[in-house]
Amino acid sequence: KAKSLATGKVILDEDDLEEPLWDLEMALLESDVEMSVAEEILDTIEADLTGERRGFTEQTENIVTAALRDALLEVIDVGQFDFDEHVAASEKPVVIVFTGVNGVGKTTTIAKLAKYLDDRGYSSVLANGDTYRAGANEQIQEHAERLDKKLISHERGGDPTAVIYDAVEYAEANDVDVVLGDTAGRLHTSNDLMAQLEKLDRIVDPDLTIFVDEAVAGQDAVNRAKEFDSAASIDGTILTMADADAQGGAAISISYVTGKPILFLGTGQTYDDLEKFDPETLVDDLLGEA
Amino acid sequence: MVLDDLGSSLRGTLDKLRGKSRISEEDVDEVVKEIQRSLLQADVDTSLVMELSDDISSRALDEEPPGGTTARDHVLRIVYEELVDLVGESTELPLEEQTILLAGLQGSGKTTTAAKMAWWFSKKGLRPAVIQTDTFRPGAYDQAKQMADSAEVSFYGDPDESDPVAIARDGLEATSDAEVHIVDTAGRHALEDDLIDEIEDIEDAVDPDRRLLVLDAAIGQGAKEQAQRFDDAIGIDGVVITKLDGTAKGGGALTAVNETESTIAFLGSGETVKDIERFEPSGFISRLLGMGDLKQLTERV
Ligand SMILES: Nc1nc2c(ncn2[C@@H]2O[C@H](COP(=O)(O)OP(=O)(O)OP(=O)(O)O)[C@@H](O)[C@H]2O)c(=O)[nH]1
Ligand SMILES: Nc1nc2c(ncn2[C@@H]2O[C@H](COP(=O)(O)OP(=O)(O)OP(=O)(O)O)[C@@H](O)[C@H]2O)c(=O)[nH]1
Ligand SMILES: [Mg+2]
Ligand SMILES: [Mg+2]
Repeated sequence: KAKSLATGKVILDEDDLEEPLWDLEMALLESDVEMSVAEEILDTIEADLTGERRGFTEQTENIVTAALRDALLEVIDVGQFDFDEHVAASEKPVVIVFTGVNGVGKTTTIAKLAKYLDDRGYSSVLANGDTYRAGANEQIQEHAERLDKKLISHERGGDPTAVIYDAVEYAEANDVDVVLGDTAGRLHTSNDLMAQLEKLDRIVDPDLTIFVDEAVAGQDAVNRAKEFDSAASIDGTILTMADADAQGGAAISISYVTGKPILFLGTGQTYDDLEKFDPETLVDDLLGEA
Repeated sequence: MVLDDLGSSLRGTLDKLRGKSRISEEDVDEVVKEIQRSLLQADVDTSLVMELSDDISSRALDEEPPGGTTARDHVLRIVYEELVDLVGESTELPLEEQTILLAGLQGSGKTTTAAKMAWWFSKKGLRPAVIQTDTFRPGAYDQAKQMADSAEVSFYGDPDESDPVAIARDGLEATSDAEVHIVDTAGRHALEDDLIDEIEDIEDAVDPDRRLLVLDAAIGQGAKEQAQRFDDAIGIDGVVITKLDGTAKGGGALTAVNETESTIAFLGSGETVKDIERFEPSGFISRLLGMGDLKQLTERV
C-alpha cells in the first residue's frame, strides 16, 4: 500500500470490509431488519466501497457506517408524501382502507386518524369492514361514540365490501370528507380471506390502502407486506407499537418490499399517540445516533 | 402462495455431508453457519443463536459419531438435541383445579387464547371459566364474552367496573364452582411501568397457579426484553405462541423460554376456539429450522 500511503489514500479491498460488514449484518438483524433485505443493503454497500479510494485517516468503520446510512435512507425514504396534503388535494370523499394481520392495531389507528383529521378540520365516517371477529362491532362503536363519529356497520358475518360501500354512499350524501374503512385482521396464508380483500379492493377502489403493521414484528414483516401488497396494492404503511420497541427494523423491511413510505407511527393507546414518520430519525435511531 | 424456502440451503449443506463419515472443521463451520441463518430468520435472539451455534460446533467436533452414522446425521442429531434441551417439554398442566393468569403485549392474542384454553380444558372434562379483567380496550368485555360463549364455558366480566383487580377478585368468587379459572388481562408492554405495576397487583389478588406469557409468533428481537420484564413482574411459568397459522417461525418464543427458564404450554393456529394445541417440541423445532420431521431423522441415529 506504499503508493496509496504516499498519496494519502488507501484502497479498500474485500478483506478490509469483511469484518465491519459482518458486524453490520448482525446489527441490522438485531434491529429486526429482515435477513434478505439486510443482505441486499450490505451488497450495495460492498459494491459502493470496494476498490474505493479513501483518505487513510478515515477509519474503514466510519466509511462503512456512512455508506450504511445512505443505503438505509435510500430504502426508507421512498416516495414520502404528505398525508395532510394528499387529503387536501383529493376529491372528496377520500376513501381509505386499512389492511394488515391480526391484532396489529388497525382499529385503534383508525380511531386515532379520525381524531387527527378532526383536529385538521376534516370530517370522517368510520366503516367497520371487520364483520368477522368477536367484539369487533362493539370495539369500533365505542371509539366512534367517544370521538363523536358516525359508524357504518353491518351484522357479524356480513359482506365487508358492502359495509364500506355503504359508508362511501353515506359520505357522498352527507358531504363527509374522509371514509375510514376497517377490515378484519387476517394472516396472509389464508387464501379465502386474502381473496376477500382483493375483492374489496377491486370493488371499493379506495384512494389509499394503508397497511398497518407493528414495530415489534420480526423477520415475517417482509412476507406479510408482500402478500398484502399483492392482494390490495399498498400506498403507505403505519407502524404501531413504536412505543414498545426502539429498533424499528420492520420499517426498513416493509419499505423495501412495498417501495411505499411509512406515513405514521403509533406510539401508544390513546388517540393522540400518532406521530408523523420521519425517515432520518428512524435511520439515526437504527445507527444509534439519536 | 407463500414460498417456504427457509431451510432449503440448510438442507443442501447437510446433504453435502450425507456420504461422509468424518467431518472436518470446515464442514462443521458451514453447517453451523446455515443453522445460524435459519435461527436468525426464525427471530431467535441473536446472542442466543451465537451461544447455540458455539455449543453445536464444539460438540460436533469433539464427539465421536456413533459407529455407522454419517457426518450429516451426527450434526443433525446434535442440533436437534441442543434445541430440545433448550425448549424442553410442554409446560406441565395437571388436570385439576387451578387458576391461570394470562399476560402479554397488546394484540398478542390473550383474549382469544383464554377462550381457546377454556375450550381445551372443557374437552378434558373440567369446568372452566374465563374472567375478563381488561377495562381499557373498547369492546374487550363483549369480545371475551362472545368468545367464551362460542367455547360454551362460563364467563365473568363487569363492564361498569374500572378496577381490574376488583374484577379479578369478584370474578374468582362469582365463578367459584368452576374448576379452572382463566384470567385474561389487558395488553401491556415492558416499557409501560404503570401497566406492569397493575399486572403485579392483579397477580397478587389472583394468586395464580400458572402465569402464561402470550406471544405472537411474529415477534422479533424485542421478545427478550419483553419476556424479562414480565418475568420480573409476575414470574412466567409458560409461554403460549399464537398465530402459527401464518409464516412466522416463532423463534421469539424460544428466546422467551430461555429468558424466563420456562417452557411452552400451547400453540395457537387460528381465530376459533378450537385452534389450539398442546406444545410438542419436535414439530416446533422442525418449523424453526424450516426442515421436515427432524425427530424421525434423529431417531434413525
Ligand atoms: N402500546 C400500543 N398499543 C397499541 C398501539 N396501537 C394499538 N394498540 C393496542 O393494540 C391492541 C390491538 O389493537 P386493535 O386496534 O384492536 O388491532 P386490530 O389490528 O384492529 O386487531 P384485529 O381487528 O383483531 O385484527 C389494542 O389493545 C390496542 O389498544 C400502539 O401504537 N401502541
Ligand atoms: N390467525 C390467528 N389469529 C389469531 C390467533 N390468536 C389470536 N388471533 C387474532 O389476533 C387478534 C388479536 O387477538 P386478541 O385475543 O384480541 O389479542 P389480545 O392479546 O387479547 O389483545 P389486547 O387485549 O388488545 O391486548 C384477533 O384478531 C384474534 O382473532 C391465532 O392463533 N391465529
Ligand atoms: Mg380491528
Ligand atoms: Mg384482549
